[in-house]
Amino acid sequence: MPAVPFERIDANAPKTARRDPILVVDDIVKRFETPDGVLTAVDHVSLSIAPGEFVGVIGPSGCGKSTLFNVIGGLLDGYEGTVRVAGERVRGPHPAVGMIFQEESTFPWRNVIDNVAFPLEIAGLPKAERYERARRFVKLVGLDGFERRYPAELSGGMRQRVSMARTLAAQPKILLMDEPFAALDEQTRLLLGDKVLQIQQQLKQTTLLITHNITEAVQLSDRIVVMTYRPGKVKRVVEISLPRPRSSEIVSSEAFGRYVAQIWSDLREEASRGLDDEESRKLREADTR
Amino acid sequence: MAQTGGLTLPTAKPWGLPLRPVTALRVAIIVAVVVLWEALSASGWLYRDVVPSLLAIGQAVYATLSDPTFYFHLGTTAYEIGIALLIGGLSGLAVGLLLGGSKFMSRAYEAYLYYLGPCPKIIFFPLMIMWFGVGPGSKVAMGAISCFFPVALNVAGGMREIDKVLIRVGKSFRANTWQMVTKIYLPAMRHPVINGVRLGLGVALIGTLLAETKLSNRGIGFLVIQAYSIFNMPQMYALLIILFVISIGANTVIGRFGGLDEIRRS
Ligand SMILES: Nc1ncnc2c1ncn2[C@@H]1O[C@H](COP(=O)(O)OP(=O)(O)OP(=O)(O)O)[C@@H](O)[C@H]1O
Ligand SMILES: [Mg+2]
Repeated sequence: MPAVPFERIDANAPKTARRDPILVVDDIVKRFETPDGVLTAVDHVSLSIAPGEFVGVIGPSGCGKSTLFNVIGGLLDGYEGTVRVAGERVRGPHPAVGMIFQEESTFPWRNVIDNVAFPLEIAGLPKAERYERARRFVKLVGLDGFERRYPAELSGGMRQRVSMARTLAAQPKILLMDEPFAALDEQTRLLLGDKVLQIQQQLKQTTLLITHNITEAVQLSDRIVVMTYRPGKVKRVVEISLPRPRSSEIVSSEAFGRYVAQIWSDLREEASRGLDDEESRKLREADTR
Repeated sequence: MAQTGGLTLPTAKPWGLPLRPVTALRVAIIVAVVVLWEALSASGWLYRDVVPSLLAIGQAVYATLSDPTFYFHLGTTAYEIGIALLIGGLSGLAVGLLLGGSKFMSRAYEAYLYYLGPCPKIIFFPLMIMWFGVGPGSKVAMGAISCFFPVALNVAGGMREIDKVLIRVGKSFRANTWQMVTKIYLPAMRHPVINGVRLGLGVALIGTLLAETKLSNRGIGFLVIQAYSIFNMPQMYALLIILFVISIGANTVIGRFGGLDEIRRS
């Protein structure tokens, strides 16, 4: 493998391993019982994330990213290994952790503003305060004017922005995002990425972004974890030493291009392994019929 | 919603027909039935008053509605159905939540509901009389038993249909059990729940009235059977029409609850 020289452009970039990590994922193994036998979705994955760090996780479809996401968020059990938030072992959803889900997750019976105010309502904030804050976050994702609309009246990308605003409104110290931009067009994706980065820097949020979009991962992350196709292991960790604050303009820089190329070569191997796997499975199934 | 801003299209039809074809057809059918009915009633082909004239029925409706004892009977039936709906609906909701929430419980018990659900509840009436007496108690019991099954089955099914990611959202925001039930499970299930209550109301009405016609001394069902026993045909038709209107009204009210946000749903 040719070594690509990545000089650290920003000498003050956080040396992640040195600081006390706020989120530790230690040797997670998660298996599912399926009709075809046991499937190992996540295989000995370890991660350690420093406060304020932005980590991207990238890997081909079906490699176990969402499974890892749910384990870290405390929504799945029956796994091996441990997840720790600020040194404390996670056994269920942690108050410092906010999650944005891959699936469509707005509440169809609540309008936009009530969707966004949901976590604040759960936390018992007074009405005036929670609507004030909800309105701020609705605006942030560019949906002002749609406060009274119901999800069924919005486009898929707008609904995804509602769920983003909902989680951001809770202002979690640690933000987990599972392909939050997948339903958006490229321009909206870049602009919303800028917004998320802005909030993240303001709140000094620790962020884990799951994606299969390389540009998005490089644009936003301090570090990118590349996962292998089934079983999902960590294939490589790439430090992204692009200067902060970043904006979406960075995507046209030369250094950016080099990172994208390196990650793409890693990922292509895995993605094609995934495709081969799918194809041979289909062939096998066709044979047995 | 219906305004077309700016653009003014000629909406009135040039030949000025006041009714849409569907409405016209409906009116035509009603007129035809009325005419046939009157003709049949006047012809005297059928035994005595089996088909009384509409005028006689109209008078009977008026007489019934202006008779204070009618309201005593109506009140009795409404009370019986109300209590039946409350008992049957709440127990159906509880059992439905239990079955929908636990795979184990549903495997163990749901089959019984499917077997008992369609069975005619009137066969329990003799038992209910022995347990609860001949008064309103046994009628309430009949209504409640009838109402229980559709509510329980609809709630159980509705609970399983809830989008799992919405539950994960609630959990990720650390909603407690009460908040999960009131802010996620119930609103997510409002359509099957309301559907269940609607079906439940229908069968509670049947259960209660049927019981009243069998053995009782008050209630609308009792009035119908009394009118029958003295062969007061206009009175019977009048009661049926009143009942019909009331049950349509009740159904509409319940439908409104669920239909209100129909358009806002995905
Ligand atoms: N509840 C489950 N039961 C059985 N198998 C599961 C379950 N959840 C996930 N899997 C399997 O685990 C593997 C990883 O799934 P996961 O959803 O984590 O993938 P992913 O990396 O998020 O994919 P994508 O990028 O397409 O969202 C898949 O092969 C999937 O079929
Ligand atoms: Mg996924």
